[in-house]
Amino acid sequence: MPEGVVTPPPAFPRGEAVGRWEGMLRFMRSAGFRFALLFAVIFIGASALFALVLWYATAGSLDRQTDAAVRTDALGLIERWREGGPGAVSEAIADRLASDVEGTAIYLLLDANDARLAGNLDRWPPGLPPEATWTFGTVQREGAQIEARLYAIELGERYSLVVGRDVAEKQKLRTLLAEGIAWAAVAAAAFALLGAAVLRRAVEMRLRPAALTAQAIAAGDLSRRVPISQRADEFDRLGGSMNDMLERIDRLMAGVRGVSDSIAHDLRTPIARARAKLEEALGEQTDAETLRAAMEQGIADLDHITRVFGALLRIAEAEAGARRAAFAPLDLVPVLADVAEFYGAVAETGGQSIAVDLPVRLDVVGDRDLLAQAVGNLIDNALKFTPSGGSVRISARAPARERIDIVVEDTGPGLSATDRARAGERFFRADASRGTPGSGLGLSLVRAVAHLHGGDLFLEDASPGAPVRGLRATIRLGVA
Amino acid sequence: MRILLVEDDAEVARFVRKGLAEAGHNVEHAGNGRDGLFLAASEPFDILVLDRMLPGGVDGVRLVETLRAQGNRTPVLFLSALSAVDERVKGLKAGGDDYLVKPFAFAELLARVEVLARRPTMDAPATRLRIADLEMDLLARSVTRAGKRIEIQPREFRLLEHLLRHAGQVVTRTMLLEKVWDYHFDPQTNVIDVHVSRLRQKIDKGFDRPLIHTVRNAGYMIRAEA
Amino acid sequence: MVCDMLRLPILALVVAAPVFATGAEPVARVTTDSPDYCRELAQRLAPMPGARTEPARSLAEDGLRLCENGNPRSGVARLRRAIRAARLEH
Repeated sequence: MPEGVVTPPPAFPRGEAVGRWEGMLRFMRSAGFRFALLFAVIFIGASALFALVLWYATAGSLDRQTDAAVRTDALGLIERWREGGPGAVSEAIADRLASDVEGTAIYLLLDANDARLAGNLDRWPPGLPPEATWTFGTVQREGAQIEARLYAIELGERYSLVVGRDVAEKQKLRTLLAEGIAWAAVAAAAFALLGAAVLRRAVEMRLRPAALTAQAIAAGDLSRRVPISQRADEFDRLGGSMNDMLERIDRLMAGVRGVSDSIAHDLRTPIARARAKLEEALGEQTDAETLRAAMEQGIADLDHITRVFGALLRIAEAEAGARRAAFAPLDLVPVLADVAEFYGAVAETGGQSIAVDLPVRLDVVGDRDLLAQAVGNLIDNALKFTPSGGSVRISARAPARERIDIVVEDTGPGLSATDRARAGERFFRADASRGTPGSGLGLSLVRAVAHLHGGDLFLEDASPGAPVRGLRATIRLGVA
Repeated sequence: MRILLVEDDAEVARFVRKGLAEAGHNVEHAGNGRDGLFLAASEPFDILVLDRMLPGGVDGVRLVETLRAQGNRTPVLFLSALSAVDERVKGLKAGGDDYLVKPFAFAELLARVEVLARRPTMDAPATRLRIADLEMDLLARSVTRAGKRIEIQPREFRLLEHLLRHAGQVVTRTMLLEKVWDYHFDPQTNVIDVHVSRLRQKIDKGFDRPLIHTVRNAGYMIRAEA
Repeated sequence: MVCDMLRLPILALVVAAPVFATGAEPVARVTTDSPDYCRELAQRLAPMPGARTEPARSLAEDGLRLCENGNPRSGVARLRRAIRAARLEH
C-alpha cells in the first residue's frame, strides 16, 4: 500500500477468505469493536452503580431502621434497669411483648445463674457473646429457622439482656430485591451488548464512504472524492478535509506536470536557438573576432537559459508551498519602500516617476525575499510599459482584518481583457511586449507568491474608459 | 593565495583550477570529501572552495562542520547545484561563509573568492573610508571628493561604502544585490547597473579621474589607478 | 454495605447449617407463638378498663378463637392489637 494513505478499518467485509481465528483477532482490534466495548463497559458500570445506590437506599435503609429500633429499645430497658433493677426490666419486657403488634420483638433477660427472668426466648442464643455486641443470629419460630438481629448487653453484675428483632420479612424483601436486580443486570448486559453492536455498526456505516474512497484512491483512481452527506458532522468534516487534501494533491501534480511541460517545451526553444547560433558561427568563413563574439553570445544565451530555469524553479517552489515553513513576521512597509527605491533609479533613467503611498506599518507573516521579488516584478513591468513622463504608483492597504492589498498602478497602455486573463500563464507574453527582454515568467511568479501567502493576483484597468488605460496590479495577501 | 578546491566533477575542477591559477593563486585539489578534509586540516589555506555534494561519505556540509568543530576558521565558499533557500541556509549554518549556485560565471567565483579570502581592505571599526581624493565619513554620513561635498541618498551611500570596503576587489552585481539590498533573487533587468551608473554621475563626473570601474563580464571595482 | 449483599448466601448457609451441624447446640426458640402465651395475653387484657369496649373485645375474641384453632401466631397478634386498642381508649 502506498505510504501516507489511510488504511480502512479492517472490520469491513472484504469478501476475501481469512482464517477464522485471524478474522476474530482483527475484529477485536478494530476501533469499532473497541468503541462498542467502551460503550458496553460504561453502560454496565452505570447500571451497577445504579443498582448499588438502589440497594443502599432500600435494603440498607431497612437494616438501618431495624438497628435503630433495637438500639432505642435497648436504651430504654437500660434506663429501667437503672431505675428499678431486674424487676423493672422484666415488667418492661412483658409490657412491650404484650403490645408488639408486628410480632417481631425478641427479648431475653438472664440472671447471674443463667436463669430466665423475662423475654420470649427459651435460651440464650448459642454463639452469642454476652458483651455489648451486634450480631445476626438464628431463632426458631413455629418450627422454622429464621434470622434475627440481636443486641446483647451485660446489665450490672452478670445479668445478661438480649434485645432483638425478627428480620425474616425484611430478608424476604431483600431476596426479592436481589433477584430483581439480578434480572435487571442480565437485561442490562443484554442491552449493553445490543447497544454496542448498534453503535459499532453506526460508526462503521458513517466511516464507510471515506474508507471506500481511500481504498479506491490507493488502488489508483485519483479522481475519486469522499461523498459528503448533509449532516455536516465530524465524519463529514473528515471527508471534507480528505477532499481538500486530494484537491491539493491534484493541483500539485498538475503543477508538476505544468513545470515539466514548460521545461521540456519552452526551454527547448532558447537552447535550440543558442545551439543554432553557435553552429552557424562554426560553419561560415569566420575570423577569430566573429568566433569570439559568437562564443560570448553563446555564454550569454546559456546564462539566460539558466536564469529562466532558476525562475521556473522558484515559481515551482512557491507553488508547492515549500517556503511557507520559512515564513516570519515582518513589517511590509519598509520592504515595499525599499523595492520602490530600488527601482527608483531605473525610473529616473527612464524619465518616469514612482510615487509611494504606504501606511505607517503593515504587519504580515511571509517571505520577505519572495514578496520583494513579486512587487519588484510588477514595478519592473510597469516601468517597462509606461512611456517616459508617465508614472507608477505603489500603495498598500489593509482593507479588511485578514487582508492586505499591495497595488502597483501605471499610466501605460494597459492590457486587454483577454490578455489580462492569460497573463498568469507561464511564458505568456502579450503581443506588445514581444520585443522587450524578459522571459514571460514575471507574472507567473507574482501569482505563485500571492497564492503562497494565502491570496491572489488581480489585474484590471487603472483608469477604465480613459484614453490611457493603464494597468492596476493588485497582490492580495491573507494576514496570518 | 593558497586555495583548496574540493570538487568531484573533473571538468568543473579543471576549469576552476585553471582560472584561479591564471589569476595568480595556488590551487590544491581533492576529488572527494575525505581527502579534502585531510588536506584542509593538515595544511593552512587562505580559502576553501567546496562542492556540496561529494562522494565518499563526507559531503561538503559535514566537512565544514568537522573543520569548525576543530577550531578551523578558514573561510569557506560552497558551490552547489542545490539552489533552494533551505539548502543555502543549511550550508551557511554549518559554518560556510558564502554560497554560489551552479552554473556560475567564473568571474563571479573569482570575485567572491578574493573578497572572502582577503577580508575587507578597510577594517570595520573605521569611521572614515578614503580612496584617492574621495572621502566618506560614516558617522556624519557625508561624502566629499576633492574637498567638495556631494549630495548622496542613503542607498547610494551604502553602495559606495560597500565598494570602498572592497576597494581593489571585484564586486559582482549579485554580491551587491545580496549585501547592499539583502535580495536573493535575480531582477530580470539591470537595476544594479542603473544604480552604479547614478552613483558614478555623482562621484566621478566632473572630477579628474574615474574611481568606479566596470570589470567586463564580472562587475565593478573602485580603485585609484586607472 | 457489601456485607448486606453477602447476607443472602450467609442466610442460605445459616439455614442449611443445622443439616451440617450435627451435635451442635439447638437454636433458641421464640416462646410467644404458643397458645399458652395467648392465654397470658388474655389474662393481661381482662383487668384493663377498655377490655370490654369495641374494638378490643371482638379482637380478643377473634384472637382466642384463632389460638384454639391452631393459629397461635395470628391469635397472639389479634390479642396484642386488642391490648393496644384497650390502652388507647384510656
